[in-house]
Amino acid sequence: MSATTNIAAKMDIDEAAIDEGLYSRQLYVLGHEAMKKMAASNVLIVGMQGLGVEIAKNVVLAGVKSVTIYDPNPVTVQDLSSQFFLRQDDIGKSRAEATLPRLAELNAYVPVRNLGGKTGQEISVDLIAGFQVVVLCGVSYNKQLEINDWTHQNGIHFIAAETRGLFGSVFNDFGPKFTCVDPTGEQPLSGMIVSVEKGSDALVTCLDETRHGLEDGDFVTFTEVQGMLELNGCEPRKIAVKGPYTFTIGDTSDFGDYKTGGIFTQVKMPRIIEFKSLTESLKSPELFVTDFGKFDRPTTLHAGFQALSDYNTLNKRLPRPRNAEDAAAVVALAKKYNPDIDEGVITELSYQANGDLSPINAVIGGFVAQEVLKACSAKFHPMMQHLYFDSLESLPDTLPTEQDCQAIGSRYDRQIAVFGQGFQRKLANHRQFLVGSGAIGCEMLKNWSMMGLASGPRGIIHVTDLDTIEKSNLNRQFLFRAKDLGKFKAEVAAITVSDMNSDLKGKIFARQDPVGPTTEDVYDESFFGSIDGVTNALDNIKARLYMDQRCVFYKKPLLESGTLGTKGNTQVVIPDLTESYASSQDPPEKETPSCTIKNFPNAINHTIEWSRTQFDNLFVKPAQAVNAYLSEPNYLQNTMKYSGQHKEQLEQIISFLVTSKPLTFEECIIWARSQFEKDYNNDIRQLLFSLPKDAVTSTGQPFWSGPKRAPDPLTFNSNDPLHLQYMIAAANLHAFNYGLKGETDPAIFRKVADAVIVPEFTPKSGIKVQVSDNDPVPQDNTGPDDLDELIAKLPPPSSLAGYRLIPVEFEKDNDTNHHIDFITAASNLRATNYGITIADRHSTKQIAGKIIPAIATTTSLVTGLVCLELYKVIDGKGNLESYKNGFVNLALPFFGFSEPIAAPKNKYNETFWTLWDRFEFKNDPTLKDIVDWFRENHRLEVSMVSQGVSMLWSPFVGKKKSEERLPMKFSKLVEHVSKKPIPPHVKHLTVEVMVSDEEGEDVEVPFIVVRI
Amino acid sequence: MTISSTAMRRVMRELATLKKNPPEGIRIQTNEEDMMDVAGIIEGPEGTPYAGGYFKVKFKFTDEFPSAPPKCWFATKIFHPNVSSSGEICVNTLKKDWKSTYGIGHILVTVKCLLIYPNPESALDEEAGKLLLENYSSYCDRARLITSVHATPRTRPAEFDTASSEDAASTSTAPSSKPAATTAAATTTTSSLPSLPLATTGFTLPIGSQKSVPGGKMGEKMGPKERHLSPSPLSTADANVGGKPAPGVTVAVSPPALLEGTKAVKRAATGGTTTNAEKRKKALKRL
Repeated sequence: MSATTNIAAKMDIDEAAIDEGLYSRQLYVLGHEAMKKMAASNVLIVGMQGLGVEIAKNVVLAGVKSVTIYDPNPVTVQDLSSQFFLRQDDIGKSRAEATLPRLAELNAYVPVRNLGGKTGQEISVDLIAGFQVVVLCGVSYNKQLEINDWTHQNGIHFIAAETRGLFGSVFNDFGPKFTCVDPTGEQPLSGMIVSVEKGSDALVTCLDETRHGLEDGDFVTFTEVQGMLELNGCEPRKIAVKGPYTFTIGDTSDFGDYKTGGIFTQVKMPRIIEFKSLTESLKSPELFVTDFGKFDRPTTLHAGFQALSDYNTLNKRLPRPRNAEDAAAVVALAKKYNPDIDEGVITELSYQANGDLSPINAVIGGFVAQEVLKACSAKFHPMMQHLYFDSLESLPDTLPTEQDCQAIGSRYDRQIAVFGQGFQRKLANHRQFLVGSGAIGCEMLKNWSMMGLASGPRGIIHVTDLDTIEKSNLNRQFLFRAKDLGKFKAEVAAITVSDMNSDLKGKIFARQDPVGPTTEDVYDESFFGSIDGVTNALDNIKARLYMDQRCVFYKKPLLESGTLGTKGNTQVVIPDLTESYASSQDPPEKETPSCTIKNFPNAINHTIEWSRTQFDNLFVKPAQAVNAYLSEPNYLQNTMKYSGQHKEQLEQIISFLVTSKPLTFEECIIWARSQFEKDYNNDIRQLLFSLPKDAVTSTGQPFWSGPKRAPDPLTFNSNDPLHLQYMIAAANLHAFNYGLKGETDPAIFRKVADAVIVPEFTPKSGIKVQVSDNDPVPQDNTGPDDLDELIAKLPPPSSLAGYRLIPVEFEKDNDTNHHIDFITAASNLRATNYGITIADRHSTKQIAGKIIPAIATTTSLVTGLVCLELYKVIDGKGNLESYKNGFVNLALPFFGFSEPIAAPKNKYNETFWTLWDRFEFKNDPTLKDIVDWFRENHRLEVSMVSQGVSMLWSPFVGKKKSEERLPMKFSKLVEHVSKKPIPPHVKHLTVEVMVSDEEGEDVEVPFIVVRI
Repeated sequence: MTISSTAMRRVMRELATLKKNPPEGIRIQTNEEDMMDVAGIIEGPEGTPYAGGYFKVKFKFTDEFPSAPPKCWFATKIFHPNVSSSGEICVNTLKKDWKSTYGIGHILVTVKCLLIYPNPESALDEEAGKLLLENYSSYCDRARLITSVHATPRTRPAEFDTASSEDAASTSTAPSSKPAATTAAATTTTSSLPSLPLATTGFTLPIGSQKSVPGGKMGEKMGPKERHLSPSPLSTADANVGGKPAPGVTVAVSPPALLEGTKAVKRAATGGTTTNAEKRKKALKRL
C-alpha cells in the first residue's frame, strides 16, 4: 500500500452506521453483517462502457466503502448504444471522467473516484493495489491473466466480464481460500421435535409430521429439550436426513433420557471455497450452466471468447458485423482451443462481436454486481467459475444482412450491428404500455431508452404509476434522487430517461392513473388499440391479474416479471399461443390459524401478527367507529342489524368517546398502563384460568404441550426497557387519536405509570354449572335492554358537531411515528408471555409491514431478461420455442429457463378452443338471441349467464323472472340485475355462460363479448 | 375486484350445483347482483346442542381465490369452542390446509362437521373449550340457549324448502321423537323429516312444517354422481388428536373456583332465579 497511485488506501471514511431508511429493502436481503463488511470494501471497476456502468451503478446503489472507475478512453457515439450515463455532448471526453458525476449522485454514502490514466493506457498491476475487489470489463485475456496472477496471490477478489452482442461471459476468482458464510441466503430452518433416540446415531423426530426441510450435511443445535439436556445449546451437530420428518444427529448414548419438547435450529456453517486462477481455469474450466436447454454451449463459448480476444489482438479490431470472412477466421482460432465447438454459435459470436446491447449488459451487469457484493461480504455462494450466457433466440427470424448491420454513425450502431437497421426501425416505431415505474419500471425505461424503443415517428411509451417517490426507493430505483422525494414516480422517470436519450423527448407519456376497474374509461378500447404490447412492472398480484385479464381481452402480448430478494422470474404471454399469467399462479402463503394467533402462539411471527391486529384494534378501528357514529346517520341502527358484535362495538365507542376520553397526555399514559395490564397480565391469567397449566386433553395428554406453549402473565415494571417502550408507543398513539401532543421522556412515563392504581383482577368464570335440573340455565347477556342502557350513555352526534377522532394510518417507513415501535413492543411483550425469543425492530418491521426484500442487482438482471423477450415480441415470433420464461436466484446462484406453457385447449362438440378465443355478439342482442344462437349454431343449451359479478340468468331464477329477462336487450338486462347504470364509456360487456351439450353434459365454452 | 374469469366460472358452476343438489342440512343464499356475495345456512345437526338452529356462514372471496381460501365467518351468534365471539372460525381448511380445488360446499360441510365434533384443544373461545372439556352437559345447555336465542327462527329458512340430494334420495321416514325438554325452542309441532345419518344421540328437533317438504321431490332420484363427500380427516387447527365427540371427557384439572365472572352469570347470581327466568321469557317472546 505504498504506491502513490494507491488512492484507495487514502479512503479513510469513517464507518458510518447503516442508513436503515435508505437501505431498508436491501437489508432484508443481505442483513446487517454483510452490509457492514461491504462498508469496508473498496471496489475498482475497469472499463466504463455499457457493462461497466451497469455493474458500477448496482454496486454504488448497494453501498460499499468506495467505488473507483477506470477508463481513460474517449467517449464515442457508439458508446451511447448502452452507456446510459453518457450523453451526446460527452463525446471526446474520457469515459470515466464523463460517467463519474452521474454515478456519484446515486448514493451519498459511496464516494466514487476516477483512477485517471491517459488515452490508450491499459490497466496495470501497480494501479490495483489496495482494492478488495477488481472487476475488469471487456479487457483482453492477456491483460486478464496478468492482473489475475497478481490478485490470486495477493488475496484480492477478481472478476472479469465481457458482453458481445447477445453473448456474455463472466469469470470469478476470489482467491485460493475464500470463506463463504451463508451459501444460500435462506432463513435458518427451525422446528419442534417430539423424540430423540439414545444411541450411536440418534434419530430425531419432528412434531406433527412437519417437514424439517434439512439436507444431508446441514448442522443443527437445540433448545428447550427436556430430559436430554446435553442437546440444549450444543455445538452444531451434522445431520443426515432419514425422511421428511426425521434426521439423525450422531452419538447421544452418554446423554440423559429424552423426555419431551425441544426445538432444533439450523446453524449455517462457513464454507471454504477454493478458486483456481484464470491461467489454471482456462485449461480446465469449471463451467456454470445458465440454460440447461443449451447444455453444451458453455464449452463452445469458452473457446469462442478466447478466440475473439485472439482475433482482436491479431487484427487490432473486432470482427465486422455479419462478415463471413472474419467469422471464418474466428472459428479457426476457436478450433485451436477446442475442435468440437459448435461452428454456428461461434459464427454468430463473431458476427455480433461489435454489438453492445443494453439488455445483455443489464443481465450480466446485475449478475456481476451481486458477485462483487459476495466477494465483499462473504454472503451467498459465488458463481464457480466461468459463466457463459447467450440469448441467440432474440435474433429476428429473418436475419439481417451484412449491409443492414453496418455502422451509420448513430447512437444505436452497436444494436444495429446485431439486429440491423430494419429491426431498429421496428423498435423505434413500437408502442408499449409500461405499468409501474418502481424498481423494475426504472430499469425497464433505462434499457428501452438505450434500445431506442419508441424513438421513431410512430413510437410511444405510456408509463403509469400512482406512487410518489419515498426514501427507501432511492436504494434501487436509480432514476430518482433525493431532490425528487414526494414527486410522482412516472413523471420523474420519464424526464430522466428522455434526458438519457433525447430521441425519447415527447415520446413518453407519464400518468398517475392506477390500472383497475375504475380506470377503464382511461385505459379503454381505443387506448389498447393504440399500443402494441404491455410490460408489467408491478409489485402486487392483484394488479398483475387485472392487467393479464385486460391483455387477454384485447389480445396484447404481456411481459411479466417480479423479484423477491435475490430471486427473480420473468414470463411471456403471447396471444393465441401461450397460457396467460392467471393460468398458473404460485399458491399464496398459508395463513396461520386464528386460534394459534389468539391463544396459542409458538413463534415470533404469530406474536407479530397478533400485535399488528392489536395496532388496528386500538388505534384505527375505535377512532373510525367513533367517527362513523358521529358522522353517519343511523350508524348504530345499521351496526346493530349487521354485526354480531354490536355490544362490544357500542362499549368501545362509549369508552373512546365518553368514559376513557383523555384530556391530557398523562391520561394517555394511564390508558397505556391499563392496556398493558389487560393484554399481558389479565388476559393471560384468564386464559390460564380456563386452561390451567396442568390441564389435560381428552386423551389424557398434557394440554400445554407440543406447539402449545403455556403463557405466564407479566408484572409491569417501569424500569424494564421493553415495558417502557410499550408505554411510550401506546400512549403516543392514543394521544394521536385525540390530537394531543406526545411525549417521550421516560422519566415522565415512569412517574405516571408507577402512580397508577391497577384494579385487582379476578378471572371470570363465565360458567354456571347446572347442579340440578331445577336450576336455571345460564342466561345469555345481550338483550336489547342492555343495549338501550348503553346507547343512553352516548352523547347524540349533534351535540358534538364537527368533533372527530384521528384514526392512525399505518406507515411502516416513518421511524418517528411510533407505529413499528408499538408493534415491536407489543409483539415482544406477548412473546415474553409465551417464552418465545423476541425479535428486534428491524425484523418485526419486515413481518408486520409485509416488506418484500429487494436489491438492485436482481432487478437489473430480471429487467434485462424481459427486454431480451421484448426483442422477440417485436419481431412477432409465433412459435413457443422462441420464447423463454426465466427463473433466477443470484444467491445460489441459479439460472433456469423454460419454454412458456401453451394455452390449454378445451373442447365443445368438435371445436377446440383456448383462453384467447371468444364469441362476439354485436348490436346489443337480447338474452333470448344469445340463448337461441347457441342452440341453433352449436346445439348447446345455455343454463347460466353472468356478467361481472351479476348473475343474469340461472335455473333458479324462477319462471317469471326468466320470462321477463329473456326478451331484454343485454345492456338493459345488466342494468336491471346489477341495479347500476352502465357507464357511458363501456362499449362492450364480457359475459360468461354455462352450457350443456345434447347429452346434458356440462361443457366449457369461451367467454362472450357483447357489444352494446 | 378482479377475480379471474376461471374463478368466476368455478363459483358460478358451484352455485348452480349447490342450489340444485345441496349437501344435507346445508343451503346457500345467493345474490343476483353479486355472485360473490354468498352465504351458507347450516342446519344445526341433530344430536348436538345446535339442533333447531340455522346458522348463517358468510363468505368473502379475495382476488387470489381459489389459490387462497375465502374469508369465512359465522354471521349467527354461536357458542362453540372453535368460533370466536366475532364469528371467526378456526379450522385448518380455511388456513394452512386449503387446496385450490376446495369450494364453498366443501367449506360448509367442514363447518357443519365442526358443529358435531368441536375441537376444544384448538379453542378460539377458550371459555367454550373449557366448559366442553369439564362439563359437557353445561356446555350443551349454554350452546342450546345461545342457539335458541340467536339461531332459531320462527319458521325455518325458505332455502330449506328444497330438498337436499340426500334428503331426496332417502325414502325412509324416521319416526319423530319428543322434543328435548331442556331446549327452549322446542315449541313447534313435530314433522316427519327423515332422520339424519349424523345424529349421534337420541333426540331429534322438529323444525318447519310438513308442507315444507314437498312430497313430489322426496321420491326424486338424483344421479349417482351427486355425492357430497365429507372432508376427512376432519381437523381443526393444531389438532393433535382426531376430532372426537367429547361427552364425558375427563379433565384432570383442579376444579376451578366457581367465580361468577361474565356479566350474564353475575346477573343471574345476584339477581336470583326469578330475574333469570324472566329474562329468558323475554328472550323467547322476541323470537
